Amino acid sequence: MAGYLLRRLWQMVPTVLGAVLLVFFLFKFFGGDPAEILGGLNATPEQIATIRSELGLDEPVWVQLGLYLQSVFTFDWGESWATGEPVGELFATRLPATLTVMLPILLLEVIIALPIAMWVAYRRGSLVDRTLMVITTLALSISFLVYIIVGQYLLGFQLAWFPVQGWSDNTLTNLTTYTPLPVMLAVLVALAPNIRLYRSFLLDELGNDYVRTARAKGLPERVVLFRHVLRNALIPVLANVGLALPGVFVGSFLIEQFFSIPGLGREVLLAVNRSDYPVIQAIAVYLAMLSMIINLGVDVMFRLVDPRVVLK
Amino acid sequence: MLLSVQDLAVSFRVGKVNGNVERAGAVKGVTFDVPQNSTVALVGESGSGKSVTAMSIVGLLPENAECSGSVLWKQHELLASSADQLRAVRGREIACVFQDPMQSLNPVMTVGAQLVEPLRTHLGMNRRVARDRAIELLDEVGLPEPARRFDSYPHELSGGQQQRVMIAMALGCEPKLLIADEPTTALDVTVQRQILNLLASLKSARGMSLLFISHDLGLVGEIADHVVVMRHGEVREQGSTERIFSSPADNYTKALLACRPTLQDHVARLRVIDDHMRDAVAARPTAKPKDPEAPVVLEVRSLAKSFWSPRGLFRKSEFKAVRDVSFTLRKGHTLGVVGESGSGKTTMGLSLLRLHEPSAGQVIFDGQDLLTLTDRQRQVMRRRIQIVFQNPYASLNPRFTVGRTLVEPMEIHGIGKDLAAREARALDLLLRVGLDPSAFGKYPHEFSGGQRQRIAIARCLTLDPEVIVLDEAVSALDVSVQAQVLNLLKDLQDAFGFAYVFISHDLAVVRFMSDEVLVMKDGVVVEQASTETLLAAPKAAYTQALLAAIPRGAASVRS
Amino acid sequence: MSVTSVELEPAASQIHSEGVWRAAWRRFATDRIGVFAATIVITFLLLIAASALGFIAENWEAETGVPNARPHFLGPAPVVETSVIAMPSGPNADLTELDPLAPRYAEWDAQTKQYAVNETTKAQTLAFGGDWRGRDVLAKAVKGSEISVFVGVLAALVATLIGTVLGAISGFFGRRIGDLLEWIYNVFEAIPGILLIFAFAAVFGRGMISVVLILGLTGWTGLYRQVRAEFMKHGSREYVRAAEAIGASNTSRMFRHILPNVSHVVLVRMALLVVGFIKAEVILSYLGLGVGVDDVSWGTMLAEAQSDLIRGYWWQLAAATLSMAVFVTAFSLMTDAARDALDPKLRGLE
Repeated sequence: MAGYLLRRLWQMVPTVLGAVLLVFFLFKFFGGDPAEILGGLNATPEQIATIRSELGLDEPVWVQLGLYLQSVFTFDWGESWATGEPVGELFATRLPATLTVMLPILLLEVIIALPIAMWVAYRRGSLVDRTLMVITTLALSISFLVYIIVGQYLLGFQLAWFPVQGWSDNTLTNLTTYTPLPVMLAVLVALAPNIRLYRSFLLDELGNDYVRTARAKGLPERVVLFRHVLRNALIPVLANVGLALPGVFVGSFLIEQFFSIPGLGREVLLAVNRSDYPVIQAIAVYLAMLSMIINLGVDVMFRLVDPRVVLK
Repeated sequence: MLLSVQDLAVSFRVGKVNGNVERAGAVKGVTFDVPQNSTVALVGESGSGKSVTAMSIVGLLPENAECSGSVLWKQHELLASSADQLRAVRGREIACVFQDPMQSLNPVMTVGAQLVEPLRTHLGMNRRVARDRAIELLDEVGLPEPARRFDSYPHELSGGQQQRVMIAMALGCEPKLLIADEPTTALDVTVQRQILNLLASLKSARGMSLLFISHDLGLVGEIADHVVVMRHGEVREQGSTERIFSSPADNYTKALLACRPTLQDHVARLRVIDDHMRDAVAARPTAKPKDPEAPVVLEVRSLAKSFWSPRGLFRKSEFKAVRDVSFTLRKGHTLGVVGESGSGKTTMGLSLLRLHEPSAGQVIFDGQDLLTLTDRQRQVMRRRIQIVFQNPYASLNPRFTVGRTLVEPMEIHGIGKDLAAREARALDLLLRVGLDPSAFGKYPHEFSGGQRQRIAIARCLTLDPEVIVLDEAVSALDVSVQAQVLNLLKDLQDAFGFAYVFISHDLAVVRFMSDEVLVMKDGVVVEQASTETLLAAPKAAYTQALLAAIPRGAASVRS
Repeated sequence: MSVTSVELEPAASQIHSEGVWRAAWRRFATDRIGVFAATIVITFLLLIAASALGFIAENWEAETGVPNARPHFLGPAPVVETSVIAMPSGPNADLTELDPLAPRYAEWDAQTKQYAVNETTKAQTLAFGGDWRGRDVLAKAVKGSEISVFVGVLAALVATLIGTVLGAISGFFGRRIGDLLEWIYNVFEAIPGILLIFAFAAVFGRGMISVVLILGLTGWTGLYRQVRAEFMKHGSREYVRAAEAIGASNTSRMFRHILPNVSHVVLVRMALLVVGFIKAEVILSYLGLGVGVDDVSWGTMLAEAQSDLIRGYWWQLAAATLSMAVFVTAFSLMTDAARDALDPKLRGLE
């Protein structure tokens, strides 16, 4: 197990390096001149030249790349161009808010969708099943934005069941007061695709030979579905958690924007609008590492549901 | 009577056309009985409806199936039973064993958990008693270390062991009838022999009945008391095994018995179904010996192929798929290559054409080593050595018409002066392999498996090759079709003097085709001899085991 | 079996059977939901073509109604009594003596009269209401559909092209080049998509072409993965081996043999991308990273709709949501039907 983890972490090295290079060259070759952005509109050429040499922009590309790599691995990205806040500190202070929103979404969208999918798979072809499929098709066609706009308006503004927006320093207060509405909306959006997907996973499994064996043993249909089929269907469900991760990021970023939650998503969006390159670069690289580690966690969990997976 | 099937008909709803439900009939009025303590075999080729018949007895057909007629189990109508009543019979009184044990066992549950299920469901055993009983059962079906195997997962067992687990699971509740649906087809011959012996001994020890479904008459002859021959959803003939084998009344049965090549006699051609159906059974000429001094076309020296897979951070592990294979092949001769799954025979065949890059050795063709040729030289040599694959459904491009499939190789190699000439030659070759010229504009999915293999053969012929590698070329075909394709291959060899490398797991077929035989096991050649010598006096222990494992139901009854 | 060679006229080659695509079309045509969905999609596409060519919704920017004009079916907004202080009656006080500009008023009045005053009366209600500037929401929805669908389709084309070519190369050749492409894929997959989009948006700026490039350059990975898997599967299929045995070149095997056999996978996947990119464009435009400030798309409409809604003007939200929902639903249903029609399991070819 330890050997497996070590090997997997070793295999991540080239990917992390690639992500770092991608971000570096993207901004190097396609981005604007940092000195001009930093100097602002009224900077004199001398001022700009000073900034250039301060940032090492007059060095050859590979020296700049070296400096950049150094900043990645020492976790020292300098300061935000816009606010002067150290980037490392900015990342560390904004991450908790993002996780407070993201992790409940990630968990709840699986935990709620799975029983519903099992129910409709068990009653496949029935009126309930067909109605739900129509509803999910329609639900899928409406933009995430509409759910948030309408949800915030109705539940927060009109009915005032939840605060429209806000955030506190206390995680517990956040979880009980400020996250329920945004998390509920994000989970609601994710339900339609998840139910459809999980249902299809369950139905795909029903076509396998081991299902026929289970029926030939005289087991009731309930046992066939919930003992034999479900455990096999959990394998693609789990794989899908890894795949759904980018979508969860989108969801939590949008939510931060809408509900004024001081997380990474809102920060990076501000940075994009201000051309605050160090902030964007740092957040992109570190979140890449974070999502790789979450994916590794998912792979380790595979061992729990699929005995054929050998971790070594 | 234990089980009585009367006038059973099964059809499948396949779709709707203009509001009318379209049905495809699979079984049309089948009647047979299974007495107590006896073995009844349903025999037929693919599409005969034998498996559908068996599955309709226990109500395990897909949801779009419609059954009529009567299935009486101890005087009780099963077709009219409720789902709960059926469940009480399934696994308790009638148990099943299926073809592919790997697919039929739940991959994420331990063997023990699956064994215990019917015991707890039907017999109400508690956890501990059920566990002890399951271990006893595993012991009874001959699984070594049953207590340890109880906690294994299916993928940790070999194919034969998995099938033993399936059998143990079926026997758990002491059923009166065991339905075995092609239980040995997915297994190697030597394993097949063991499973067959196990089933026979369990059946007599427990006094249960066995409904055995198979496409292989030889196999059935060894195990069954009563044989039901099916074709196209109908029963052609049924009777005691002795009677069916010694004096078959139906032409189709006669044909099935005759079209399998046997190990006993060496004939030039096989009888095919049509001969029998028309009652035009001619005497079978014995094969003529071949010219032993014919020129050598292909010489293989110490061919080897390894696959590498990563292990650990930096190391790689080597898997030697083929080791040190050498042979010579003469014009007009056939080299048979026999082995079970994993023996490396197919890898060897692909390496000859460099479809796999061999790791070592020489393939000398006409004085030149094929393995050292440049790409351009190789392109020319490609014409001269061709291949026919096993799976007739995968070996033709589904998006190409037959015509395009045949014209393409000629275009690549510049054979024929223009398109018209190439098309004319393609049409000519279609006739040659026994197909109608109208096949030219059709797509592969419009043909049966045997016809597709003919098209694949025609594709080889377009290039006028000297050597053809036949990689399990008839293994996926029904016996009757197999006989036709084998005859075609022989005819073409006589007409054009092709040299064949005939790869197969089936010794009887290899015997029919080959002049010399290579027996392979785990990538190594264990024996290499002329066909007659090999059959008369096999030296290697593995060859002997292989020969002993071949079912010879017909022969054992005759003698 | 006759072994005689018969002279046959090559005309036999003219008898071609029903190909795979035509068979799929025949199956599609029997699927009522699929055909209905396709009709809606085609209607949308016709509308979009008409608006792109300037036949309809050309003047979507014209402020034809009063700000936030209500839809016809609601009737004009009730007049709200807002005046608190009554206007004084009686003549204005004469300030001529104090006002230094007074002597020129008459001259200016005369000048003003020379210009025709083009006082258009703004409509109190519009077909489906107006936005905060009084622009017709219906026209905006048509124009917005044009931009959103155009961006979705074009970005899907870019992503499909990249994904298919890279996936084909990676799956077919494997080894070193496959490893390299896998590395690139892993890098793109590692960075959460939205961040990649933000990073690309930060350097490319906003505008329609930017959005297409951003979505296309970041969204190819799923398709790459699938095409690669298909090429690996088909590459070891016997028909491709047979083509290699007869000496067909790498290019011929990749593009003449394998590609047509996986094209239905690519097509279905591309349709899914269109839907995904339409949704992504909406979000990007909402965040201000999407289409230009002067353009209208479903996303910019939703961005405006948020503040409208708080003041009770729901029609812009409804127009954008409805047109998007109808199009996306129809497109998804059409894709489902196409997938069923192309299902290789039904063809019995695989």
